[in-house]
Amino acid sequence: MCPPEHFGVLYEINPWMHREVPVDLDRARDEWERLRATVESAGAHVEVLDPRPGLPDLVFTANAGLVEGDRFVPSRFRHPQRQPEVAHDAAWFSSHGFVITPLPEDVHHEGAGDALPFGGVLLSGYRFRSDAASHTVLSKLLGLPVRSLELVDPRLYHLDLTFCPLDDRRAIVAPSGWDAYGRQVVEALVPEPLVLDDDEALSFCANSVVVGTTVIMPVCPARVGRLLEGWGFEVVESPVDEFLKAGGGCRCLTLALDVRLA
Amino acid sequence: MPVELVELEGHIIDSLIFAKVLDVILAAGGDYRVVDVEIGKTNTDVSTARLEVSAPDDAALASLLEALQVHGANRVTVVDATLEPCAGDGVLPAAFYSTTNLPTQVRVGERWVDVENAEMDCALVVDDDGRAHTVPMHRVRRGDRVVVGGDGVRVQAPERPRGANPFEFMASEVSSEKPKGLLVAEVAARIRRARAGGGRLLAVTGPAVVHTGAAPDLARLVREGWVDVLFSGNGFATHDIESNVLGTSLGVSIREGVPTEGGHANHLRVINEVRRRGSIAAAVEDGFVRGGVMYECVKRRVPFVLGGSLRDDGPLPDVITDVVAAADAMRALVPGVTVALMLASTLHAIATGNLLPAGVETYCVDINQAVVTKLADRGSHQALGIVTDVGLFLRELAAALCP
Repeated sequence: MCPPEHFGVLYEINPWMHREVPVDLDRARDEWERLRATVESAGAHVEVLDPRPGLPDLVFTANAGLVEGDRFVPSRFRHPQRQPEVAHDAAWFSSHGFVITPLPEDVHHEGAGDALPFGGVLLSGYRFRSDAASHTVLSKLLGLPVRSLELVDPRLYHLDLTFCPLDDRRAIVAPSGWDAYGRQVVEALVPEPLVLDDDEALSFCANSVVVGTTVIMPVCPARVGRLLEGWGFEVVESPVDEFLKAGGGCRCLTLALDVRLA
Repeated sequence: MPVELVELEGHIIDSLIFAKVLDVILAAGGDYRVVDVEIGKTNTDVSTARLEVSAPDDAALASLLEALQVHGANRVTVVDATLEPCAGDGVLPAAFYSTTNLPTQVRVGERWVDVENAEMDCALVVDDDGRAHTVPMHRVRRGDRVVVGGDGVRVQAPERPRGANPFEFMASEVSSEKPKGLLVAEVAARIRRARAGGGRLLAVTGPAVVHTGAAPDLARLVREGWVDVLFSGNGFATHDIESNVLGTSLGVSIREGVPTEGGHANHLRVINEVRRRGSIAAAVEDGFVRGGVMYECVKRRVPFVLGGSLRDDGPLPDVITDVVAAADAMRALVPGVTVALMLASTLHAIATGNLLPAGVETYCVDINQAVVTKLADRGSHQALGIVTDVGLFLRELAAALCP
């Protein structure tokens, strides 16, 4: 995770961002600290990336890249505003013993924000931020099958706003964010999906951090909470309203480091 | 319709990207041809597909290609064909592109141009006005711009055969064990269909057509207008005339099937008499030849080419003894031909097969399976071999077409 010292809405690269809506930095710090404490109390250890002035979205570490074992594939951001984050992310991973495996320069891919493992494959979104062509590159780089999902709702511009793996059979899914082909792909892949309706999806409850059986989300719609608890998960709400102003939820603020995809 | 090649790679089958791309093309009013698909063998292997995408016009194609790019389908970058001028008459640049007999296109000025006359084993020459055509080696002239290397050339693969019917198959299937009556009826039907569509029929004949007694049936087909072009050699024409003038074929009585007294020289005497008159047409005109295939060709003005060979007796005055000139004369008569009947001829049939575009429906009739196979194997994709006696075949064909 990366603390929000330099966080703010300084540019607009998704429909949630409005520069005229100011971020309350104190509240953001509180929310971030609370999220960190919640994640740690669920049993995870949190590493901290130093914040950098001029890189407000560095807090959204999910987009830093893809972790696979001791390898790190840094993102290739679509928007120039976020591209300077890459060197900083790569330096951290390099100094922590990860092997840096870069993507070629002619593709865009926004890391764990647009790629999540499930059922032995990597699901990856494309259109708004990542390219379909990047999926083939990733597949060859990591030796993994990649299923491409076309994202169709600009408000749900990253895959991790529409898909959240819970365990090896279950996932929270927001089909309204995908085209008809993508829906079929997920239907075939996920035996027990928790299907969100539009309002639920737009509350960013698919953007949850899952630690063991704890599911951490900004706000939990009652129906979703009942279903998750019925499956044996514990739902913890950790409001991140200040970060929602930039279009990011709980999961966007974290990047899992113990990922082994293959 | 403008066409471009796009390539799609990845887990395109499981991700339904392949299906989506095809749907996107059709929904945009475009069309596609799947050039090839290579499906990954294991879970982690990627699959690759290449598609020829077409749209009603250049603007529609450009916007379609843009839409496809979103899904990872990228235009395969193609460069214009490389052209190199011939340094001398009849000599090609060293790296010349050697043609197939399949429909071919050349990239000139960033557009695909159809090659006008598909012929195998030729060079591709691009004119100053951007038109492209095949030219055999001996016909190129100094300064002709010839395609070198394989860049900017594409060949349309023959359609994959579908179905169990040998005619749907039309793919070098040769068997002596097929019901001949049905085959002949189907050939007749196809000839009728080709003629109805304005196609021309080419007959390529060997001497066995005369020896087996089938020449009158072929003559009837010529007389009734079913044959538009005839390619043959000295032997066939000689024996056709001999059988009509003297009643023998290579000295053997056509009627009784036994050798006649002094018959071994009959064909030489006939050749001599035709030579005396100067041409087959002259021999027909003065009444020396009163029937037969060559007679009907002259009467009906069906163009024919008689190509010479080393072992020819005489030869007849019409025989073109310069084989390069003979092939050129044949080449000049090929345009418009849509059906070719190769009748008990080996050398002329193969020579003709080399000249024909792959789309010409070719029926190769011979008692010897090896001949049929040999022709079919030489790259004549639409060749159907029929292993049978040419005499029986022509009798049935004439009965079917000239009732």
